[in-house]
Amino acid sequence: MRAVLRWALPLAALPPLALLGFGLTRDVKTLPSALIGVQAPEFRLESMYDASDSISLADHRGRVVVLNYFASWCLPCIVEHPELVRLRADYDPDDVTLLGVLYQDVPENGRAFMRRHGGEWPSVVDYDSRMAIRYGVYGAPETFLISPRGRIAYKLVGPLDAHTAPVFRAKLDSLLAIGDPGAEGHERLESAPSPPP
Amino acid sequence: MSGATRHGGAGRRRKGPWAHRRDPPGSRPLVTPAALFATAVLVLAGSLDAALPSPGPTPRQAAPQDSATPPPDTAAPATPSPGSVADRRDAELDALTAEVAGRFRCLVCRGQSVAESSSQLAREMQREIRERLGHGETPEHIEAFFVDSYGEWILLRPPARGVNLLVYLLPAAAFVVGLAIVGWVVRARRPSEPIPESSPAPDLPDDALDPEDRAWLERAIRGDR
Repeated sequence: MRAVLRWALPLAALPPLALLGFGLTRDVKTLPSALIGVQAPEFRLESMYDASDSISLADHRGRVVVLNYFASWCLPCIVEHPELVRLRADYDPDDVTLLGVLYQDVPENGRAFMRRHGGEWPSVVDYDSRMAIRYGVYGAPETFLISPRGRIAYKLVGPLDAHTAPVFRAKLDSLLAIGDPGAEGHERLESAPSPPP
Repeated sequence: MSGATRHGGAGRRRKGPWAHRRDPPGSRPLVTPAALFATAVLVLAGSLDAALPSPGPTPRQAAPQDSATPPPDTAAPATPSPGSVADRRDAELDALTAEVAGRFRCLVCRGQSVAESSSQLAREMQREIRERLGHGETPEHIEAFFVDSYGEWILLRPPARGVNLLVYLLPAAAFVVGLAIVGWVVRARRPSEPIPESSPAPDLPDDALDPEDRAWLERAIRGDR
């Protein structure tokens, strides 16, 4: 009996320790996304610069879309902003579209943010976080990489910084290397059953 | 510590609950396998009942709706137009929204559901849920919508399948294993045969103990004070 207990007690401690070890070795910055590989939800939202104008995801079919959720009240958004400016400068706008989504903020503040920190790219206003909920957004900043076919290829939770930007750029480059099916090919692919990501 | 207290302590231990048992050797253990099995079945049934989704609203789920929809005569003091159909529908929708929002994890806080949180995102999710319910969507559709966007992580009560089963079964299994270990320990510590009231002092080698200690030990074994 004592021999059994001598083995049973340490053995009983093993599963909780294994779970603890598993939990401690996860990357806390990695949040699960249910949307990787699925078709990005379509949207048509008011432009941040002109309330009478609207921008849709479909407008940018055939290009890689970098969809960046930001807000003027968000400090990490200020941290990542220079990286977005560089990204915008480094890639051909015909290949890559940088699209801002103003999150839980008003357009005036969003415009002031862009004036203060520089850079200029199309941005939309996500009133009531309706689009954010469809995109599974936790908070700003979050950046989605959407393939020319409109699939969500990657999602970064948190700012693009010295650690995350190289990974993000590598994903972007690989997405560009896969090739752009083009507008016509895109139409065809849209109606066909979607291949696995 | 004085010898008297040690003696008393030893005496109490000898005259403890086991010493007076008259059961023959090999009698029923304190924790029988049957009792263990029954406990395990009860615990597992309880956790599975909590885990498995029910096809329709359970009585517990339906309760908030019922309680939030008072009969017209009792609603009179609270609402300006008592018994009005629109008010009752609003109250029902509010209650159902709260119930459905209670299933989701608040994304920007800790340990709160969407129904409990006052964060902006949670309030916007509540509005989304209310709108969808108003359009006739079922709570299950809404759950599927949020799971599509955020993954099963958003559910405070994940469905009991696959790896999720661990969440429901491990506590019950740990309880049963713990109970078994306690049972073993208790049985192992118990003397296998009842101690006769007047047992002779065991034979000890003469040089094992000081004469003084030996005398104390013999008195203790006899139960003299």
